[in-house]
Amino acid sequence: MQPHFMTSKINFILNDELIETEINPATVLLDFVRNQRLTGTKEGCKEGDCGACTVLTGELYNGDIKYRSVNSCLIPLQNVTGKHIVTIEGINQNDDLLNPLQQAFVDEGASQCGFCTPGFIISLTGFFLNNTAEDNFSVLDALDGNICRCTGHNSIIRAAETISEKFKFILNTNGTKLKYLTDNKIIPEYFLSVKNRLEKLKSENSSNMPFSGTKYFIGGGTDLFVQRPDEMLSSDISFLSGNINLTGIIEKDGKCIVGSSTTVTELLESSIIKRIIPGIDRFAELFGSTPIRNSATVGGNLNNASPIGDMTAFFMGLNSSVILKNGNSKREIPLNKFYKGYKVTDRNPDEMMEAINFTIPSVNYFFNFEKVSKRTYLDIATVNTAILINVENGSITNVNISAGGVGPTPLYLFNTCNFLNSKELNFKNIKEAITIADSEITPISDARGSSEYKRLLLSRLLYLHFITLFPEIINLKDTL
Amino acid sequence: MKNYDIIQHVRGESQFIDDINVPHGTLYAYVFYSPAAHGKILSLDLEYAASMKGVKRILTFKDIPGQNQIGGIIPDEPLLAENEVHFIGMPIAIVIAESKFIAKEASKNIKIEIEPLPVITDPREAFKNGKLIIPPKYFSCGNVEAAWKDCDVIVEGQCETGGQEHLYLETQGAFAFPVEGGNIKIVSSTQGPTAVQRVASKVLGIPMNKIEVEVLRLGGGFGGKEDQASPWAAMAALAAFKMKRPVKLILPRHEDMIMTGKRNPYSSDYKIGLNNEGKILAYEATFFQNAGASADLSPAVLDRTLFHCTNSYYVPNVKATGYCCKTNLPSNTAFRGFGGPQGMFVIECAITKAAETLGVEPSFIQRKNLFKDGDEFHFGQKVEHSRAQISWELAVKKFEPNKISQRIEKFNSENQNFKKGFAFMPICFGIAFTNTRMNQANALVNIYTDGSVTYSTAAVEMGQGVNAKIREVVSRVFSISHDRIKTEMTNTSRSANTSPTAASSGADLNCNAAYNACIAILDRLKKSALEEIDGEDLNKVEIKDEFVFYDKVNTGLGWNELIEKTYPKRISLCEYAHYATPGIYFDTKTNKGHPFKYHVYGTSIIEATVDCLRGIYTIDSVQAVHDFGNSLNPVVDLGQAEGAILQGLGWMTIEELIYNKEGKLLSDLLSTYKVPDMHFAPKNMEIIFLEEPNPVGIFNSKAIGEPPLMYGIGVYFAIMNAVKAFNPNKEFKFSAPITPEKVLMNLYQKENSMNESDVNRKKVFETVK
Repeated sequence: MQPHFMTSKINFILNDELIETEINPATVLLDFVRNQRLTGTKEGCKEGDCGACTVLTGELYNGDIKYRSVNSCLIPLQNVTGKHIVTIEGINQNDDLLNPLQQAFVDEGASQCGFCTPGFIISLTGFFLNNTAEDNFSVLDALDGNICRCTGHNSIIRAAETISEKFKFILNTNGTKLKYLTDNKIIPEYFLSVKNRLEKLKSENSSNMPFSGTKYFIGGGTDLFVQRPDEMLSSDISFLSGNINLTGIIEKDGKCIVGSSTTVTELLESSIIKRIIPGIDRFAELFGSTPIRNSATVGGNLNNASPIGDMTAFFMGLNSSVILKNGNSKREIPLNKFYKGYKVTDRNPDEMMEAINFTIPSVNYFFNFEKVSKRTYLDIATVNTAILINVENGSITNVNISAGGVGPTPLYLFNTCNFLNSKELNFKNIKEAITIADSEITPISDARGSSEYKRLLLSRLLYLHFITLFPEIINLKDTL
Repeated sequence: MKNYDIIQHVRGESQFIDDINVPHGTLYAYVFYSPAAHGKILSLDLEYAASMKGVKRILTFKDIPGQNQIGGIIPDEPLLAENEVHFIGMPIAIVIAESKFIAKEASKNIKIEIEPLPVITDPREAFKNGKLIIPPKYFSCGNVEAAWKDCDVIVEGQCETGGQEHLYLETQGAFAFPVEGGNIKIVSSTQGPTAVQRVASKVLGIPMNKIEVEVLRLGGGFGGKEDQASPWAAMAALAAFKMKRPVKLILPRHEDMIMTGKRNPYSSDYKIGLNNEGKILAYEATFFQNAGASADLSPAVLDRTLFHCTNSYYVPNVKATGYCCKTNLPSNTAFRGFGGPQGMFVIECAITKAAETLGVEPSFIQRKNLFKDGDEFHFGQKVEHSRAQISWELAVKKFEPNKISQRIEKFNSENQNFKKGFAFMPICFGIAFTNTRMNQANALVNIYTDGSVTYSTAAVEMGQGVNAKIREVVSRVFSISHDRIKTEMTNTSRSANTSPTAASSGADLNCNAAYNACIAILDRLKKSALEEIDGEDLNKVEIKDEFVFYDKVNTGLGWNELIEKTYPKRISLCEYAHYATPGIYFDTKTNKGHPFKYHVYGTSIIEATVDCLRGIYTIDSVQAVHDFGNSLNPVVDLGQAEGAILQGLGWMTIEELIYNKEGKLLSDLLSTYKVPDMHFAPKNMEIIFLEEPNPVGIFNSKAIGEPPLMYGIGVYFAIMNAVKAFNPNKEFKFSAPITPEKVLMNLYQKENSMNESDVNRKKVFETVK
């Protein structure tokens, strides 16, 4: 089949150069830039797990450019339309001088074989471009999507901390930040002209949004391009990224509505979400990695239907619903009824997920999310779970608990929740609830752990919800 | 001491195989591999795949003009399967196409029928079925049987160590192209250019002099590209030879993980006997090494296990037995430490168990038995210049383990949700290829008439900084600036018959060869200088800071001028020199001798915290006193130590290779096989340089690549101690890696109901992401 968007034109700025191409829009950015002989961007795993291919995408946002690090191995070219793409070659100073970040790496010996190094330098550059002092986001968090197999990371940490300390003042210079960054030779001069060039591109591109395919809807691409990159090249695809009707987070009639193409980063940065879930920063860093969060969309994660999707556990814990749209007709279905079997959802092929919504809890509510994986950061959950619980006068008035990794689909623990509803919040009831939870899960043994382990782990994490939220009611010792 | 490679790395300008700008007309190869772990090939249907648009040809073993044989130590490994397959991932056919995408797509259309044969993945099961790759190996000293009766305490048990994926960030690959006259040039990502040349020569059936192998640099090796870079290079060469066109073959990550071998997993039995004072009197160990489907380097890996089975401890009576067991997994291979870590883990387990019985801390036994000068290794070598005790005592002085112990005890008594533990880990690692004849190297040094210098050795740069060190040697001998010196790519035409860059010996061997070449040229330059300055005593001539000095006075004759004046006198400005490690020998009949040039020692203390709510852990600190000798480049050496330690920590903790009963690797992607990341790295990594000069090292330096990895073993016991602080009654099975799964199970299980070494994995969903 010849997808009919094959002739559509993709325009973007690659480093200092305007690119106009009619290449297959499902080509991943990594392959494209390497074919342009920009070989500093490396292929390490092609699944977003190593960071050797990290590039920056810059996009107009509130009259400024917002730069984010992304895994170029998972981004279809369509998703970079109208953006500024920065590879390592695009941050090199013209002469053979090293910029201060590069120099710090050399001084600390923070590069050995060199294969991962450009990715680290790019992520570090992204940190300076993207972060402000009040973000309270450490430079090391910006490097959480990059793996080095040689150095042990200690020298990289030393280089990153030295440089972030040295240029800390730049993080406070919001409006004029680009100027400071170019003056200090962290980025080359041409960055100053990019905003105007992007605006010009935007006016030329206007509404050139291919929205015609039917076989696949692609948001960030961070799952489909891991699972079946080759198939994407010959598939009938609708690209949803950048569709403003599908992004953003709003409050309406007591509900919080999250557009399906909202990225995980946008979700976590949302002041609405932060207000509703004050502790979200505590577990936000457990979702994928910085570059994955920058690309991955909420709708993508939910539709992917992985039993261990973090967004799924999160939203199911909030007792969310999803809005499915087919032309002008829409329907709403509770997320806890959305999953029908392993990787099977209730969505019809011609339906698109438009948004996710949940009722904003008002008073006396508590939320917690737990995830355990083999490696704490940049790993997929062995088991994850979220809880939203209302407690009034010592009684549970409403509770929602999700559990991932313990069945063929993301689970909502119906029996457990039913049992707890209207019960007194005490150790005896919690203990009994956890026994019930164990009876409504069917974990299997796989690369992430044995079924016995997953059972034990879920019961411990359920206890942990209560230990975390109600330390006066229950502690670890009680559970032994 | 600039590291020139890093300057290119940070600008993204360093070239790896896949970065080479290939000529127009280059073809791409993809390797079709066995989907079954063991079986007879009943049929192989290439027809449809070969007819696909863009597919040029599909090669099988029938297309090999020379021998279908790539085994290094033993000729037991075909390049391409003939009638039988022996592991999932065994190469069967090479699909050559106009693009890598087409080549891969075509391979999906190859049809194969395989009649299954029994699959063995467990080394003990292989042993029971008599599947040994080589006869058993025995190392011994004293008389173990007689010694048991003198022991006050004897403990025995079993322990396991898992494999380890190298996860070099640059996957295996090669680029080969025909050169006029029936020659082939191969650019390979290999630690052993000569090995690639030898294998390609055998496969193509043409002499070695018709094959030139060049290495730019490696995006990591860690042993994984010592012998196992050769098949891919040979396949690219075969394809280029057949098609008469350039061919690039790069393994995608998933294929690399499925098809290539890893660190050998071991299952081992130990028995240790001590007197009441904690002195080890006798040690017996039996190692069942999981070699995989063919020998590869496993016999040599097993040797090193036996050499290092007593780690840093003097034991008068030793009996160590090694079985190299054939299983239906990819052939396991070299990995930093090369069998040493597997051997050391076992005696550390034995000491831990003995300590429990004796009612002492393991460190009490460890300290009591450290090697001192005059002791003898169980293979007959005398202990000389031991740094075992001095590094231990310095670690005690600097890191104050008593305080650590008190602090942890206090923490554990005050905290319910988190528990801490710590452990000592001393190391002792022999430097030299244990196969004596491999301990040789050569180097070519050229001075050009403008005073610029190049050198070329067999050393392969893979991030370990070997070139920074060789450059340092050249710079020191000539007393010229590093900026004058250029490193040539490693190439078999400039450096022939070389050993792989491995066994931590790359710097030692190649620096010495370069040193010999430089000294020869320097002698000639001094004579030339003596003429130019009309001096009389050659001994008074020296070159210092780019000037000729006579009797310690600067003559004003500069380096450039000296070179300019030397050339017209028809004095050679070039030298090709050889180096052979002196004084080493080993008798493989008695397994006695002096196989190592010297040993590297050190002591580390590792501390970990277990999150008892979740069963996860953090490694808080690794503190070590390491025996660096006089470092040739402290930045490089520190980086090697830190990197090796984190790899050791990963091997012991979260790096878990899981195979199912059918021989399928389940952790076959970076999403399921987890290596340490930045957050996993210990917050506190403190490495103290023990700068005792090494009398036999170049400029008194010591090798660095492998030894520090073994400090990581300590983390196993640190985590175990933390778990025991929470669940004291739990009897621990020694089974590495100590994954979060094992930790949680050990925290909450009251008795040992789970067999940790063989977690039951009956049903498996396809990898879920």
